[in-house]
Amino acid sequence: MASLDRVNALLAGQKVDRVPLYHFVLGFCAKNVGYPIASMYNDPEKSYMAQLWTFEQYGIDGGPDFGYASYGGWEFGGDIKFPSGEWEQAPSHGSFAVQSEEDMNKLRLPDVKKDGMLPLAMEFSKLQDKHGTPISIVLGGNFTIAGNICPVEKVCRWMIKKPELVRQLLRSATDHILEVIGYWAETFGAERVIPNIWEPLASNQIISPKQFEEFVLPYLKESSEKILSMGVRHIYYHICGEQNLNLPYWAQVPMGAPGIVSVGHEVDLATVIKHFGDRCIIVGNVDPVVIQNGTPQEVYQLSKQAIEKGKQAPRGYMLMSGCEIPPMSPPYNVYMMTKAVNDFGWYD
Amino acid sequence: MASKERTEELLKGLQEAVIAMDEDAAVEYSKAVLDEGIDAYNAVMNGLAKGMDKVGQLYEAQEYFVPELLLCSDALYAGLEILKPHIKAEDEQTKGQVVIGVVEGDIHDIGKNLVKIMFEAAGWTVYDLGRDVKLDRFAEEQQRTNSDIVAMSALMTTSMLALPEAIKLVKARDPKVAVMVGGAPVTRDIAKSYGADGYADNAGQVVKEAARVLSEVRQRK
Repeated sequence: MASLDRVNALLAGQKVDRVPLYHFVLGFCAKNVGYPIASMYNDPEKSYMAQLWTFEQYGIDGGPDFGYASYGGWEFGGDIKFPSGEWEQAPSHGSFAVQSEEDMNKLRLPDVKKDGMLPLAMEFSKLQDKHGTPISIVLGGNFTIAGNICPVEKVCRWMIKKPELVRQLLRSATDHILEVIGYWAETFGAERVIPNIWEPLASNQIISPKQFEEFVLPYLKESSEKILSMGVRHIYYHICGEQNLNLPYWAQVPMGAPGIVSVGHEVDLATVIKHFGDRCIIVGNVDPVVIQNGTPQEVYQLSKQAIEKGKQAPRGYMLMSGCEIPPMSPPYNVYMMTKAVNDFGWYD
Repeated sequence: MASKERTEELLKGLQEAVIAMDEDAAVEYSKAVLDEGIDAYNAVMNGLAKGMDKVGQLYEAQEYFVPELLLCSDALYAGLEILKPHIKAEDEQTKGQVVIGVVEGDIHDIGKNLVKIMFEAAGWTVYDLGRDVKLDRFAEEQQRTNSDIVAMSALMTTSMLALPEAIKLVKARDPKVAVMVGGAPVTRDIAKSYGADGYADNAGQVVKEAARVLSEVRQRK
């Protein structure tokens, strides 16, 4: 099968010949073609082409994506700094839109056609449309956007001391997610848009499963239900980091038919299949640190193990790293995932 | 002078105020400690700090998460603000001195801040360089303060590559200084391969690991 046919077949609920290789790889692509890492985030044309060429080189089956985890900060009125230094990987926060309780009164929903990175993301999606690759829009999850509008330490304190303020942030984040996806649906047709939603700040490295249930779940459910009612067929959720204790709640979030769930190396693929396998394509989860710091043999072995577990997923599985492939990864290590999928990924 | 029973009651009150995230109670008990002539150092170490130690255990056991830990630390600092000025000079010996910061290229400092809290609660002197810290600043600050340990963190896979460089710079100035590292992508094996002397998986383990590292450092000296 051709690369994109493989992913499209899984989305259509059809059988595929081989496990697709579905990378989340940005800065590595920039280095691969000699562009600055920042261009992956502020130059749609360069970002798209760097990914397309790298995907061809490594036999990656998905399409290019555009976005970053600190999404929401810039759009709601804060500042974002694009990576420039030797050790920088992705855009990071300058200032936050909300730094105090008083700032909450000034909180306004962004203009989805003008604010922050959204005009760049729209330009990128027009390239996806032109080249015939899947149309995605990368957004933070509801809680991650809240923690990008207002520093996450403050959000954490407010969860216990002033929960109504956290709900107000989550309300704005949820309304914003719906407005952005509505704009994409209007531009390209809802059935062609795959929202790509990353939720690192809701991990159990920060909040408890009880806080997830109380604060995150209701908003996630609401936005998912409304996105699907627009006519969107599949939502891709990247359940980033250590989220084992949150999985029973995530399992209550509708994600489409099928949905797409990717997880970090912290979560076992067999557990993910148990929670989501009957209705979602499962994606993951080779440890990015091993891809960067490990030997080629270690990456190959981890990929083999992931493929063997992932192949049990009834709605399909795609091999990916547990989070972004680190930009400084040795290229041969990255190739080991391609080799593993070709050696072990075929279905009988 | 308060009775032994009353002293115990106030120390327990301080511990519980920290564990219960109750800033007001921490302030009230701290004022009572001073009003009733109880030794401020005793109240800090066996009241507030002991409470924070229990908070660290609750965090490690995943009963408390970052929101609880932050509010416990707010109660701790509210009490410390009242009691610290009354600690007698002879009691002011520090458990150790540590320079702490997030390496260059990385602005994720929640973990570093939690580690700082645990160090301060346990009676360490902390020199906090903040986040996105130029690598040579760790070595400079260690020399300026003559600290026993330099503690560095990184959250991103790219910025973690700065850790071995920063460790080299510290060790080049004084090979006897110990370095501890941490952060989500770092493991004990990676820490060792980078030349670090200590590693903690989370903020709850930091002080214990630092005490182990410190005894090694002092033997070296």
